[in-house]
Amino acid sequence: MRRIDDLSSFHAAREAGLAKLMPNVPRIAVGMGTCGTGNGAEAVYHAFADQIQGRGLGYKLVRTGCFGACSEEPLVNVRLPGKPLVVLHRVQASDVTAILDDIAAGRIPAELALCKIEEWDHITSHVQYGCDYREIPLWNEIPFFQGQKKLVLRHCGLISPLDIEEYIAVGGYEALYKVLIDSDPERVIEQIKLAKLRGRGGAGYLTGLKWEMMRKAQSGQKYLICNADEGDPGAYMNRNEIESDPHSLIEGMTIGGFVTGATEGILYVRAEYPLAVHRLQQAIEQAEGCGLLGENILGRGFSFKLSMVEGAGAFVCGEETALIRSLEGKAGRPTPRPPYPAQKGLYGKPTNINNVETWYNVAPIVIRGANWFQETGSAKSPGTKVFSLVGKVQRTGLVEMPLGTPLKTFVYDVGGGVAPGRSVKSVQTGGPSGGCIPQDMFDTPVDYETLAQLGSIMGSGGMVVMDEDNCMVDVARFFVEFTHSESCGKCVPCRSGLDQSLRILNKFTRGQATEADLVTLDEISRMIRDMSLCGLGQTAPNPVLTTIRHFRNEFEDHLRAKRCRAGVCEDLALSPCENSCPLHMNIPRFLELLKEDRTEDAFLSVILDNPLPASTGRVCQHPCDNRCRRAGVDDAVNMRDVHRFIADSAFADDALYARAMARLLAVRKAATGKKVAIIGAGPTGLACAYYLSLLGHEAVIYESNAAAGGMLRYALPDYRLPKDTLDREIGIIEGAGVKFVFNTVVGRDVMLNDLAGEYDAVFLSIGTWKESWVYLPGTELTGVIPALPFLEAVAKQQPVTVGRKVTVIGGGNAAIDSARTALRLGAEVTILYRRERKDMPAIPEETEAAEAEGAKIVFLAAPHRIVGDAEGRVKAIEAVKTRLGEYDSSGRRRPVPTGEVIRFACDTVVLAVGETVDLDFVKASGLKLQESGTMLEVDRYSLETSRKNFYAGGDLITGASNVSNAMGYGKKAARNIDQRLMAEKRWSQLWPDFEYAQSAPHHPSESGRHHVREVDAAVRAKTFHEATLGLTPVEAMEETCRCLRCDVRNGD
Amino acid sequence: MSAAAVKARVATVWLDGCSGCHMSLLDIDEALAVLAGRIRLVFGPLVDAQEFPEEVDVTLVEGAVSSQDDLRLLQAIRQRTKLLIALGDCAVTGNVPSMRNGLPVKKMLESIYIQGVTTAPGVPKTGVPSLLKHASPLHESVRVDLHVPGCPPKPEAIAFVLKELLDGRKPDLTGQVKFG
Amino acid sequence: MPNMISLRIDGELVRVEEGHTIFQAAEAAGKQIPGLCQMKGLSPVGACRLCVVELAGVNRLLPSCTTPAQEGMSVTTQSARIKSYRRMIVELLLAERNHICAVCVSNNHCELQALAMKLGVTHVRYTYAYRSFPVDTSHPRFVLDHNRCIVCTRCVRVCAEMEGAHVWDVMGRGVGSRLVCELNRSWGQASSCTGCGKCVQVCPTGALAEKGCAVEEMIKRGQSISRLAETRGGVL
Repeated sequence: MRRIDDLSSFHAAREAGLAKLMPNVPRIAVGMGTCGTGNGAEAVYHAFADQIQGRGLGYKLVRTGCFGACSEEPLVNVRLPGKPLVVLHRVQASDVTAILDDIAAGRIPAELALCKIEEWDHITSHVQYGCDYREIPLWNEIPFFQGQKKLVLRHCGLISPLDIEEYIAVGGYEALYKVLIDSDPERVIEQIKLAKLRGRGGAGYLTGLKWEMMRKAQSGQKYLICNADEGDPGAYMNRNEIESDPHSLIEGMTIGGFVTGATEGILYVRAEYPLAVHRLQQAIEQAEGCGLLGENILGRGFSFKLSMVEGAGAFVCGEETALIRSLEGKAGRPTPRPPYPAQKGLYGKPTNINNVETWYNVAPIVIRGANWFQETGSAKSPGTKVFSLVGKVQRTGLVEMPLGTPLKTFVYDVGGGVAPGRSVKSVQTGGPSGGCIPQDMFDTPVDYETLAQLGSIMGSGGMVVMDEDNCMVDVARFFVEFTHSESCGKCVPCRSGLDQSLRILNKFTRGQATEADLVTLDEISRMIRDMSLCGLGQTAPNPVLTTIRHFRNEFEDHLRAKRCRAGVCEDLALSPCENSCPLHMNIPRFLELLKEDRTEDAFLSVILDNPLPASTGRVCQHPCDNRCRRAGVDDAVNMRDVHRFIADSAFADDALYARAMARLLAVRKAATGKKVAIIGAGPTGLACAYYLSLLGHEAVIYESNAAAGGMLRYALPDYRLPKDTLDREIGIIEGAGVKFVFNTVVGRDVMLNDLAGEYDAVFLSIGTWKESWVYLPGTELTGVIPALPFLEAVAKQQPVTVGRKVTVIGGGNAAIDSARTALRLGAEVTILYRRERKDMPAIPEETEAAEAEGAKIVFLAAPHRIVGDAEGRVKAIEAVKTRLGEYDSSGRRRPVPTGEVIRFACDTVVLAVGETVDLDFVKASGLKLQESGTMLEVDRYSLETSRKNFYAGGDLITGASNVSNAMGYGKKAARNIDQRLMAEKRWSQLWPDFEYAQSAPHHPSESGRHHVREVDAAVRAKTFHEATLGLTPVEAMEETCRCLRCDVRNGD
Repeated sequence: MSAAAVKARVATVWLDGCSGCHMSLLDIDEALAVLAGRIRLVFGPLVDAQEFPEEVDVTLVEGAVSSQDDLRLLQAIRQRTKLLIALGDCAVTGNVPSMRNGLPVKKMLESIYIQGVTTAPGVPKTGVPSLLKHASPLHESVRVDLHVPGCPPKPEAIAFVLKELLDGRKPDLTGQVKFG
Repeated sequence: MPNMISLRIDGELVRVEEGHTIFQAAEAAGKQIPGLCQMKGLSPVGACRLCVVELAGVNRLLPSCTTPAQEGMSVTTQSARIKSYRRMIVELLLAERNHICAVCVSNNHCELQALAMKLGVTHVRYTYAYRSFPVDTSHPRFVLDHNRCIVCTRCVRVCAEMEGAHVWDVMGRGVGSRLVCELNRSWGQASSCTGCGKCVQVCPTGALAEKGCAVEEMIKRGQSISRLAETRGGVL
């Protein structure tokens, strides 16, 4: 290439570049960063090359870097002359023929189009591509790019990284030219200072100040270093920047060299980035060939040598003093500062080190000025920052956002949130030296100061999103394991302190930690932070300290309950399904026993884990489905319906049932002489009493109604749970020895204090029978009824009058139950829900069933008022249409009223907006309430209330929940009460040994998931007979075979 | 109240150690006479009791926790003692018994009882308690109220500790004791 | 005449030559700040972190061995936080390798042991690592027991800076860091070793010792090395 040493040769290069960038033939650019190549871009490129040549098309084909949308790779840019640039996504080699056919016909393959670019601000110049393709969204109209500002990534994915002329065409090297012609280094440094450009490597030190120090340092030899030793797990912004746009880095450093008086520049790139190394090397050679680097740059008499050194892969070499030692050929161990590199750096000479991204900001500031730069970002942290957004979000990739953008924008708007049905738990920023920020702090603006306040750091810009499947203790352990293995070993706090931290964290994940360990871990982490020699040690405890601060509950779960809610810590769970089950049922065991055709054993296994198997088999919220690993193959195993099948089979075979019950009673422990009173015969109370009875205690349930079952009997409609099925199950509980006292209201017929004298312990388990009332004009009208009393009256077969047109307000199970019940009573039903379908708390199958039966659901409609007629009867309901606004603390988008009012004529309104517990009797007995005043306060682990030997569980402590959660509390309470009464741990003695196969299938079975059969909607909607039919024996057997047996442990 | 009733109930225990700490205890010389009036020795190598008694005020434990038997005894001691004192380096740090910890138990036993002997090689299996993976200091198994390091601890230090405890104070051992 | 500067150490006004570290300034004022990697005559490295001090107006703790004393500084060498951290460091060192004082040649003459005693460390709260480390007995006169090494690198520095042989260095990283002779040779094979024994004399523990010493018999003469450095000059 020709040397560029004056304006005319510079312009000639630019013209040549523009002709390549916007040729008068179609230009096809394949995104071939490491990310694209990893997704098959190489094959795509070759397919294009072969066909363009084979067909003699004469199109221009180039390799570019990456445009940032990693989850959409491989990306291909196509531009027809005079038209917008179109970004195609997920392009495969097999698509190439069709794409070329389209282009040949003058079309764009719209179905592959992700977005289009009509004009582009390269910051250093501006490119107009053309306007067209109305059906394709503009690049910044699609959610992933909305709000992004491409300053550092200004050229990435658009120009060829291997062609210096294309770089010059978009304004490249103009800043360098300007700086050399102006020849006023102080002014440039002043600009950088004014721009408040902060180091993008993590610490955020002001670049201008560093440069000034360097400029003032007196020495014949000064070094400039670019730190491209990007080593954080999950961070790859520097790799992409270099791979996509190496010249911007060279230009930034050359300007830096001129203004600081450095004579030599060194790029320290990690060796694991071969493509970046290769492209950078080529770019250096090109720049030298054009006279833009090396001797007498641009003919202005300035010389700057730039060389590259490949780092051997030690994480600590990202620390500047260690990096310098590494460059000197010594072991990469940090040295204390002072002396600072600007005084005594590489080979003892003044040295300035900046991160890759910092250098990318130099040319734009030179061209557009400090004021322009300050327009973006926050006051203290102007400009943008590139983040690698990875983890559980739906859209991952490189995201360049103004500093100060709230965290939730990254997670929800750019990343699209987590997969449906999951919830975000936290974001880890700054890599292994960063911290975890909990979901309720997502309003946090992402800048240097705020992140530091939360105990995290900006770091190089890693951003890992975690959901409920991530165990925060394990996350802390993972990062400490990383820093532990990357610690250089020089200073004691980091070397030995991290070793002890890791030992303690391992104890946590194995369930062996003690309370003292948590204290020691916190203490030692603070010491490492305060005492370590370099940044690695000083920040290594951040993941631990922030998780202890924001997720202390999880640490306590691991040590007190030996539980890992996320199911990550394998030693603490049998399998993901067992871990997610509130009752901790041994699901793989009953599946395997049924598979081995041992129904009696399977039934015994089920009722030992859960005394209401047929009910929960019908109405459980089945959290196990969300965790089943089989979902990675096709769909989750239908565990709920298999255990319903087992229960139904046993109830249908009296002999089998009798044998199983005899075996159950054989497990029952000898009478202990201890007595426990249980208040409430709902699922919680039943479960607690059942286990206490099996443990040999006398369990007596006090119930205000005339029969047991609670919500199962009085709130669940018959078509979901037939009462005779429930009766059979209560038979199991009675069979286990539980006694009932019906028609007795505690607080009226019998006093809590009296019970305290008579019993060794009391367990409170009252349901949420009190309907929350919403403030809505018109609720006083005749025809407005709360959901629970409505369902209860129907269940008790009391006369109920609903009108012809019923509107139900709410989106939970009670709303759906009310709607389906009203349908069966002959009404026309509309459900109003203020959020979207995916936000509904109701079981999705129930919602679908309701719709199939004819219920109409109106989403995004918030009730506004109920309109009455002259007699005070409901006539209509008005709702305000809502639209989705900002994300709230639950991770759902807040409904915002639009002002548009819709009206539905109706004669009945069912309010199903939530239920609470009637706490009057509790207040009278002096038990402590939670701060909200609506629930009882208990110890999280023992379930004991503020009064000794008084325990509580279920709705009373959680608010309205579901059957399995409620039973889980009952089971847990029984275990704790027993331990207190007997002063020893007897729980595990309840379970007999079941012998069954302990091997995982070699291949997943072929059968897909069997869904439970439903009665035809038109038929079932007319009766209260059960609406679902359960699995057939063959289907149940096939389901058991689908289990992957995550519970099987190989070896030790 | 009789004089015997106010005497503190003291026990001494010898786990995996050399008995040097007990020697050092006896070396407190004339202080023994003073102590005798204030304590009642209820268990240990120096008395006949077979079963570790209930309601002990102070127990001095010498030696590391090396076997299942050590561990069980120590746990019983913890339950029945108000103040548990780790006496000497083996109880405080693991000391010499812990030098075997780098070797797997099986390999260590074989090197002693099979490779290390010429007549009747074989690892004894009966009548000996099974060894734990590591010989470890007491506080890795139970809560310890006071550590008195030294190999052995100086008699003066032991006398000081006992006197302070009998006088109802928690002894401050800074500068009074050392490892080794 | 060198420039003199004034600073306060634990409230006391101290005047020292400019260029001195805080550690040296404290020493000049008769205050002993603990330290295991620091040694008079050797370049400071700031590795053990025991000599950290608090500086008024600065949030971070600073190692006194590498921080230059400056005019007007107000230094605190003892505080509850510093004391607790120093104890933690000593305990970490004791748990890291196998320091069995009772059988050590340096028993009663060991800087680590003495410091533990001074700081009131009566036991180690951390889990002992019980890692196995080799013992190099290949040198005719000296022995290196890695079990007792705290990686302070005094030996590395004295050999490189004073003897000019640079026999020693550190290999590996993290808890795997280990003193290494030449390019991981046994000491007896080392061709660059002059056998001067300086490394043995500066070693704060029993890791480097003269052969033939029994328990408690190895008494180091580290001060003679410091004096030698002073005589040669050039070292602060």
